Amino acid sequence: MALAFGALFVALVLCALAAPLWADLAGRGPEATNVTGKIEVDGRQVDVVSLDGTPIGPQWRSEYFLGADANGRDVMVRLLYGARNSLLIGIAAALLTTILATLVGLLAGYLGRWVDAVARSALDVIWAFPVILLGVALATALAVGGLQIGPFTLEAGSTAISIAVIAVVYVPYMARPIRGEVLALREKEFVEAARAQGAGPLRTMLSELLPNLSSTIVVFAPLMVANAILLESALSFLGVGVVPPAPSWGNMIDAGVERLVTAPHLAIVPGAMLVATVLALNVLGDGVRDAFDPRSRASWGARRP
Amino acid sequence: MTRFVVRRLAQMLVVLFAVSVLTFLIFNVIPNGDPAVRMAGKTPTESQVEAIRADWGFDDSLPVQYVTTMEKVLGGSAISYFSQLNVRDQIVEGLPRTLSLAVGAAVLWMLAGVALGLLAALRAGRLSDRLLTVLALVGVSLPVFWLGALASYYLGFKAGWFPNGGYVPLTEDPLDWAHHLVLPWTVLAILFIGFYSRVLRSNVLDTMSEDYVRTARAKGLSERQVLLRHVLRNSLIPIVTLWGLDFGAVVAGGAILTETVFDLQGVGQYAAEAVGQLDVPPVLAVTMFGAFFIVVLSTVVDIVYAILDPRIRLT
Amino acid sequence: MTSSRSFLSAVVLALAAFAAAGCGDSDDGGAEAGNSGGSMTIAQTSQPDALDPALAYTSQSWEPLWVVYTPPLTYRHAEGQEGTELIPGVAEALPEISDDGKTYSFKIREGLKYSNGKPVKASDFEHTIKRVLNLESGGTYLFEGIEGATDFIEGGDPKADITGIEADDATGEVTITLTEPDGTFSNVLATNFAGMVPASTPFENQSTKPPPGVGPYEITESVPNRQFTLSQVEGFDIPDVPKGKVDTITTRIVKSTSRQAQDVIGGKLDYMQDPPPTDLLAEIKASHSDRYKDWPTPSTYYFFLNQSIPPFDNEQAREAVNVAIDSTAIARIFGGRLKPSCNVIPSGIPGHEDPDPCPFGDPSAAGDVDEAKRLVEEAGVGGEKVTVYANNDSNRPQIGEYYTDLLNQIGFDADLKIIDGAIYFNTIGNEKTKAQTGLAAWYPDFAHPGSFLQQFDGTAIQPTNNSNYGYVNDPEINKGIADLLKEPDVATVADQWAELDRKAIEKSYLAPYGSEELTTFMSDRVDFDNCSLVHPLYGNDYTSFCLK
Repeated sequence: MALAFGALFVALVLCALAAPLWADLAGRGPEATNVTGKIEVDGRQVDVVSLDGTPIGPQWRSEYFLGADANGRDVMVRLLYGARNSLLIGIAAALLTTILATLVGLLAGYLGRWVDAVARSALDVIWAFPVILLGVALATALAVGGLQIGPFTLEAGSTAISIAVIAVVYVPYMARPIRGEVLALREKEFVEAARAQGAGPLRTMLSELLPNLSSTIVVFAPLMVANAILLESALSFLGVGVVPPAPSWGNMIDAGVERLVTAPHLAIVPGAMLVATVLALNVLGDGVRDAFDPRSRASWGARRP
Repeated sequence: MTRFVVRRLAQMLVVLFAVSVLTFLIFNVIPNGDPAVRMAGKTPTESQVEAIRADWGFDDSLPVQYVTTMEKVLGGSAISYFSQLNVRDQIVEGLPRTLSLAVGAAVLWMLAGVALGLLAALRAGRLSDRLLTVLALVGVSLPVFWLGALASYYLGFKAGWFPNGGYVPLTEDPLDWAHHLVLPWTVLAILFIGFYSRVLRSNVLDTMSEDYVRTARAKGLSERQVLLRHVLRNSLIPIVTLWGLDFGAVVAGGAILTETVFDLQGVGQYAAEAVGQLDVPPVLAVTMFGAFFIVVLSTVVDIVYAILDPRIRLT
Repeated sequence: MTSSRSFLSAVVLALAAFAAAGCGDSDDGGAEAGNSGGSMTIAQTSQPDALDPALAYTSQSWEPLWVVYTPPLTYRHAEGQEGTELIPGVAEALPEISDDGKTYSFKIREGLKYSNGKPVKASDFEHTIKRVLNLESGGTYLFEGIEGATDFIEGGDPKADITGIEADDATGEVTITLTEPDGTFSNVLATNFAGMVPASTPFENQSTKPPPGVGPYEITESVPNRQFTLSQVEGFDIPDVPKGKVDTITTRIVKSTSRQAQDVIGGKLDYMQDPPPTDLLAEIKASHSDRYKDWPTPSTYYFFLNQSIPPFDNEQAREAVNVAIDSTAIARIFGGRLKPSCNVIPSGIPGHEDPDPCPFGDPSAAGDVDEAKRLVEEAGVGGEKVTVYANNDSNRPQIGEYYTDLLNQIGFDADLKIIDGAIYFNTIGNEKTKAQTGLAAWYPDFAHPGSFLQQFDGTAIQPTNNSNYGYVNDPEINKGIADLLKEPDVATVADQWAELDRKAIEKSYLAPYGSEELTTFMSDRVDFDNCSLVHPLYGNDYTSFCLK
């Protein structure tokens, strides 16, 4: 079952990548408005957006496959481009989290003493904030002026900021188990052997410990992506993630919620996609965990805030 | 035992300090630009910005700034420049609403999560177990704001079974209070039920294969007694600590989405609205108090856990 | 004044145009019928910009404040043309104006008291105006014509005296001297900014503790972002100003117009200030027409084009925008509640003339994207980055998205920035923001074309709380406005105002797209037929509300 869902996720990613192809098929991009356009339905010319502002529902053909939104944009096209944004941010953030968490976990676990103490305090501190609140706080703080780290400037409202915020928030989630693993592995014979052979800490960490962490990392990966995608959609829903007109499932839901009476497809469709993607990742994560490490501390399913 | 408690408390103080420093950094230092302008929120006049700069000490050195910020936030004198209201008062006002949401949801998800988890564990491997697993996974994958919006519209407005959002104080009308909270409780709980049922299921299965359980069975205790006296109690211990932490997280502003969708006007929504208005003092205060609450709560939980499970104290 | 949403009822116009558009309703919305007493709960979508009369400058705040603070003069509480008539408020009678048009004098009514029981004094008037000037209110420009006003502002000392205002507490007489004659000054004396407050009122934004005023209601509770409550004032008595029929009116701030509309349908809310969302409009018109009505307003909705910075410092670039806009598309986003037009002065205000043809194409026809593309290229601004500003109330984000996409289609590199409704106008009105273009709307402060053209008056530009979002500074227009404003009888110079309007449009100083139609939607607790007076300037009149 896990493999099936894994395949589903891969299929979703491929669909997202194929977004421009679909856009060509549908004849418009994700931000191309068409408020006064008409299309042919059953031989009649129908307004894409009616005179009182109601958009058409799913047409099940290349143009307006899933209908139009209040600005006449193609929902399917936006869905796919939204997938791109949401998946891009989710995967990039998860990747960044993995890198940071592995780094911190490895250094803290192996080097011990004050490095460990500092690292654990830092992790505790970040862990103390409810995920969504921290995400919102960081996004708000950076909303006006952006972020400057040395020579790098991240523009306010850019994707990079979203990725950075989401990545940081989830570091403790992964770093603690990794640290735990490292603590356990540190005492094993092969590490002793390497040290005896004169390997320095860096070599030991890279060539001995890291490979053994791979199973833990792999087990966590799908869950981190799921968490990141959910957090991104929550931030976008609140207006501090991906801002319109760029599509993201979160901000599509935000706009769609305003139209539940006349155009429920606008809120239901992106939500369903979100659920499907996160579910696929969760099932995949479950399966991976069962396969690699049934007793792992990777939580069952993505944790909520 | 006392040594453990003392050590844990000391740790707590260190983390609290670190949390306050981090919050301070997030809002006043890390972002680009002038913190006084940022804090003034809606574009104010020069004189207003200067006043804020002096009030919060942005021209002073960082440590002095930190102390000033702590004084204002913890001392309760921080005001929002947008609404002219005292931030701490607003938080105190929103607290009963957030607590109403959190407590109700927490009880619901605990009961439901344990019940479903136990059920799944007892029928491990069979169809009903698989079904429950799928349900749990779906529950954990649902975005709460989406679920909440749909529930609020279809069950609230369209079907009319529930009020369409809003909050009625408990003291005003307990029945109405509960009526307004049923949907928010359910929506918020669904998120956790899935997770908790799976954790419990896993714990129960693990515990059931432990030696002492086999011993108990061998001693002739009925299956039910084994279940209740040994298995469940030991499976619940880790859950209780998790539960404490999650509850803390919800109170500390983690319910921001549920509150916003149902217009409950609790602490989380207060922060969310301030976010929209780029109003820094409330977000800063909520973040800091929220984190404090969690740290304190997790310390309490750790201590309780140590009382329940002596093995922990030794680490 | 600026309005991000409903309200600001149509300003009455002196001419038939408005009568034809809006007065078909023979119903007198303010009739005597209906019970007194009871309480109503109403909703606004965001916290009003201020509940301090010196600072409040949007329709959201003017609607409640009109029935709380009475200026020296006020407007008759009637619909249509009748509602534009100036009547004495706190003053005993309409002011005496000197022959040279520079001196206005009036006398405070005897025995008048504030809602806290304290007597109203003539010297309170100067204090009221000083607050407007000292707090750097958006209404400052209205009072700068008073002698000594600019000195007072520059001096920065709240205790200083404004030489042009003389008051005698013993007799209750107030005399105001202007530096130049100003044909709109009587209307200025009727704006909410002149709503009298006691001389003890601090020089600070009092929105959370609104000062006492003279009016049928007082604000007894104000919790920003939550609600504020108006309660009837015992003993309020000014001729021709209704006392109000409902005991208390609680305004709740509810972010979602969907929820507001749903609550009005369900009877949990008695009235919503904003129009129902497009999503529910069709249903409401079909099933609840007995408690819903819409009415045209003399408003101008437009995109401002900041000409102090690129790319819209280039006239062809601005023209391109005007050529490309499709008002009918925006009308759909409004759910049909928009009347396309290409004027600055809207239908219903003297000085409105339907240009024939509109310089950039018929507003009811589609825009010409190709021609616009050509203009952009010719202007050499193709590919330039543009940030479009929009607020987040009701349908504004969508309009912003439409406009952003349009700009991209015609060759710019546009993106959208959405700002919370409560701080939007402050943001685009601050020179530091350097907003290139975005959404704006104007409802008249009073029934006078000057109120509209003033948005394009170069001399009215302020560094903060600016309303000339386009930073338009055309000496011809500045002079035209200054000259025409001196004219006391607007009807005689209406055509000259129309000329100025044409000039502004021809140079694409803005990109107008139409006038909004607003709504009144109430629960069935309200006696809708008799108690829903729509005032041309202030929207729904709270003093007319009554329950069945």
